[in-house]
Amino acid sequence: MTITNYDERIIKVNQPVPGAPNNWRRFFGFNTDAKVIGIQYIVTALIFLLLGGLLGMLIRGELITPPSDLFDPTVYNGLYTMHGTVMLFLFLFPILSGLTNLLVPPMIGAPDMAFPKLNALAFWLVPVFSIVLLTSFFVPGGPASSGWWSYPPVSIQNPLGHFLNGQMLWIVAIGLSGVSSIMGAINFVTTIITMRAPGMGFFKMPIFIWTVLAAQILQLLGLPALTGGAIMLFFDLNFGTSFFNPETGGDPVLFQHFFWFYSHPAVYVMVLPVFGIFSELFPTYSRKPLFGYKFVAVASFGITILSLVVWVHHMFYTGTPMWMRNLFMFTTMLIAVPTGVKVFAWIATLWGGNLRLNTPMLFCLGGLFNFIFGGITGVMLATVPIDIHVGNTYFVVAHFHYIIFNTIAFGIFAGIYHWFPKFTGRMFYEGLGKVHFTLTFIGATLNWLPLHWAGLLGMPRRVASYDPEFAIWNVIASIGAFMLGVASIPFILNMVSSWSRGKKSPPNPWDAIGLEWLLPSPPPHENFEDDIPTVLNEPYNYGLNKPFVVDEEFYISKALNDS
Amino acid sequence: MTTTKSEVLLHTPGHVKHDGHNLTGFIIFLCSESIIFFAFFVGYGVLKITAPTWYPDGVSGIAVREPLINTIILVSSSFVIYFAERYLHKKNYWGFRIVWLVTMLMGSYFVYGQYVEWSELTFSLSSGVFGSLFYLLTGFHGLHVITGILLMGLMLIRSFIPGNYDSGEMGVESISLFWHFVDVIWIILFILIYVWQ
Amino acid sequence: MNLKDNINPKISLIIGISFAVFIDLVLSKLMASWSYSWLPVQASKAAPYVDNLFAFETGIGTFIFLGCSGVIGWVLLFNRAPKYDESYGEPFEGNVKLEIVWTLVPLFLVIAIAIYSTKVNTTLQNLGEKTKYDSQKELPTYLDNNEASAGTFIDVISRQWSWEFKYPEGFSSSELHLPINEKVYFRLISKDVIHGFYIPAFRLKQDIIPGSIISYSLTPTRKGIYRLRDSMFSGAYFSQNQTNVIVESKDAYQEWINKTVKKVPVDGLNQAGFLYKKRLEKGDKGWATISPSPSPQVNDPGNPDSAHEG
Repeated sequence: MTITNYDERIIKVNQPVPGAPNNWRRFFGFNTDAKVIGIQYIVTALIFLLLGGLLGMLIRGELITPPSDLFDPTVYNGLYTMHGTVMLFLFLFPILSGLTNLLVPPMIGAPDMAFPKLNALAFWLVPVFSIVLLTSFFVPGGPASSGWWSYPPVSIQNPLGHFLNGQMLWIVAIGLSGVSSIMGAINFVTTIITMRAPGMGFFKMPIFIWTVLAAQILQLLGLPALTGGAIMLFFDLNFGTSFFNPETGGDPVLFQHFFWFYSHPAVYVMVLPVFGIFSELFPTYSRKPLFGYKFVAVASFGITILSLVVWVHHMFYTGTPMWMRNLFMFTTMLIAVPTGVKVFAWIATLWGGNLRLNTPMLFCLGGLFNFIFGGITGVMLATVPIDIHVGNTYFVVAHFHYIIFNTIAFGIFAGIYHWFPKFTGRMFYEGLGKVHFTLTFIGATLNWLPLHWAGLLGMPRRVASYDPEFAIWNVIASIGAFMLGVASIPFILNMVSSWSRGKKSPPNPWDAIGLEWLLPSPPPHENFEDDIPTVLNEPYNYGLNKPFVVDEEFYISKALNDS
Repeated sequence: MTTTKSEVLLHTPGHVKHDGHNLTGFIIFLCSESIIFFAFFVGYGVLKITAPTWYPDGVSGIAVREPLINTIILVSSSFVIYFAERYLHKKNYWGFRIVWLVTMLMGSYFVYGQYVEWSELTFSLSSGVFGSLFYLLTGFHGLHVITGILLMGLMLIRSFIPGNYDSGEMGVESISLFWHFVDVIWIILFILIYVWQ
Repeated sequence: MNLKDNINPKISLIIGISFAVFIDLVLSKLMASWSYSWLPVQASKAAPYVDNLFAFETGIGTFIFLGCSGVIGWVLLFNRAPKYDESYGEPFEGNVKLEIVWTLVPLFLVIAIAIYSTKVNTTLQNLGEKTKYDSQKELPTYLDNNEASAGTFIDVISRQWSWEFKYPEGFSSSELHLPINEKVYFRLISKDVIHGFYIPAFRLKQDIIPGSIISYSLTPTRKGIYRLRDSMFSGAYFSQNQTNVIVESKDAYQEWINKTVKKVPVDGLNQAGFLYKKRLEKGDKGWATISPSPSPQVNDPGNPDSAHEG
């Protein structure tokens, strides 16, 4: 330890391990470190996954028999509304923000996000609006019960006439969630645009960063439309305005336009980062370069642009004119093209690889398999005549869950397992992970595959009771749902026990390429601090003789020494 | 646990700017914020074209004269704030403060004018589609004007802190940008509500 | 592997791929013909068009799905790394030709599907046109086209949560009786919120928008009893908002009209009202709901328990 000819600040004491007993408190306070915020988001979201899952199982409990016998129908309506809202706004959006927070700064070599305080504020809004939303269970009249679409006039009927009602709290919660998401989006976009490592041009960024950028730009363009609609709905509900109220000349279908202008792209906001996760993991575990890096990268923006002009496909049967239906059918189907580019690229990446089937890879493969299926039913739904038959039936519910759970949640699980050693510094238990995957895959398939047939036969969605001919599909689905509940047990066990006493993780346990893998596990507070690597190539050159960064050996040995 | 190295580094350590991205972030925010207004404008247009009844009973149109004066004042304040910024660039702090205050006063007059207009109207938020839209649009815009004036006040106070502009004038630039934004929104709003009758 | 050593690898690859594509095609064709059985009986002129389109897309979908998952399955079987083997796979980075192929092929496929669907769409529109009218302006009594001016409308009135069908002969019913093979015209009216007029056996669905009146038409082609369901969530007793559609021969239909016209109006089918009364008797437990609208007064309350197909 003698001469140093580089920055003094590099040689300083490491941050204590996150989660080590002496500093667990930092996860419960206003911390501006993106890595702490990321873990805060993920843990909060996983707790809400359990709540949303419980609500889902209650729904499936009611639907295991044809009559409405477990709950009063009003309770059923409240439960399914809250199930959707909790899963989307309290689980999926926060957990993706969490993964994005964890991954964006290390992946681009930045020390932190561009606006750390704004970042912390965005996170702390999550508990605030969660409490607002969950309070609605206890107000007179119960929570919002008009579905997560909240279509007027049902949503503005306000049966008890109180100012403080479940629907009103629902709108406030969604509004705050929107504010939090916009704060996050501004932060992510600014960080990605301005804080990349030297040498990291746009076409050297990891695909995950590409997809986050595409998704967050979509968030910035789409979300305000929903906010606008929600403000108008709020006034209609509580102040007697007549934007969407047909009795006083308003137009209820107008709300549907505002709602879907955002809420369809919202699915892409969620699925794009998952495409990013797929694109990171398939090359790593196939030991092969990503097939057609540039095509995969650009396809993300193809999806962003197209997804802004497809929303009317949710309104094919509301009396939209013919030309509009044909036009939006075509734009919707076009999304299959950039998506197809990605899917084929992943499959080509797998082809001829040397596959390592550990838990993250299994979740990725499961997610891809389900996504191909969900994509095909998506094209069917885009077809006007078919949509007129199966729209608003269980076919849509099944398709939607194939995307939102069987693809997006699978991808999220894959991401959590893949980067778990990096950010906790410990390995997870492979055995428990495989049990988790097996139960999840079988449960999810049993739950949603049969419901396609219920929908084709004409079972409307959102019903508390149904005709006996649909019983068989629903029984299978309910068994699958309960199995998914069981699947959470090995997952929780794995996460908790691995984090507290798992085997120590080396800096790069998967032998992966990427800036985050050049850091110690867990990475120090400011990642590379004042010695950020200069990037030479995109991070997918497995087996090729292309250096990733200048002086890679130095960073590898530094990470090893610091771990 | 420290790195022990005696040889020379084989690379130049890279750096990225930690902060100073406020203006970029603010521009992104404004782009997003404009979509809310865009949504309201689209709603206005659609309902104006399709609603079975437009004006509330007893209302046949809306007066243009006072709002026009208001508009002229607000739009010209956009030019005034530009001069304030120029003074600041030239490090003429008192010039900046005075012209900045003039902008604030012009903004305040606009809010006052809005208040007078609201109090003289015979219809309310709940009188039909037009009433709802009118108060929503002007109210939401007014909220932005008030926010702008408050933020300008904050900048004015901060201009007295010694060394406030050592690290750049990003705060003033952002607020000025916000003010232009509020102006442009008003021009569209004025055309929609008052000109397109 | 031995096989590959003997035969030119390029030829064996081509043979292998053609064989796989052939199997895939056969399975897709089978799936497409099987897909008809997943749908309810075809009871309207529109139904066969929708079902053919669905079978077509099922076929294409199966082909793509089996193709992709076949490759994934192959890779899973034959490209797994042995334990502790961390060597690299074949390092190819991409292939621009292949990328262009799999951009253009889906593009053409999508355009083909869109053109076919647009055609079906136009056919359906001609089979049963629909137009939206403003309810505050004058109600249409006749459709604009000549063919329609001969017929009159059956008014479909939807409420939270009951259906009422008003016939031009001046009576109303809780069940929808229709003559077979004759084009019928509807005016879809909602008294409160958005409802969905959905008859799975007809493959037809139309949202009923309060504040608008929608003229709608269809032609039933098969005798039988089918379900009409509310397909757009309409509040607490949404799932009870269903009734039967009875398609019968022209004579039977006429007979039913003659019989029903003479009947005295009684409370119509109102399952929601019945359940709500039960709830009130039990102490009004559960979360808030607006009370169901009173039962419509109809000449024929129908029989909700009669067996339905589809």
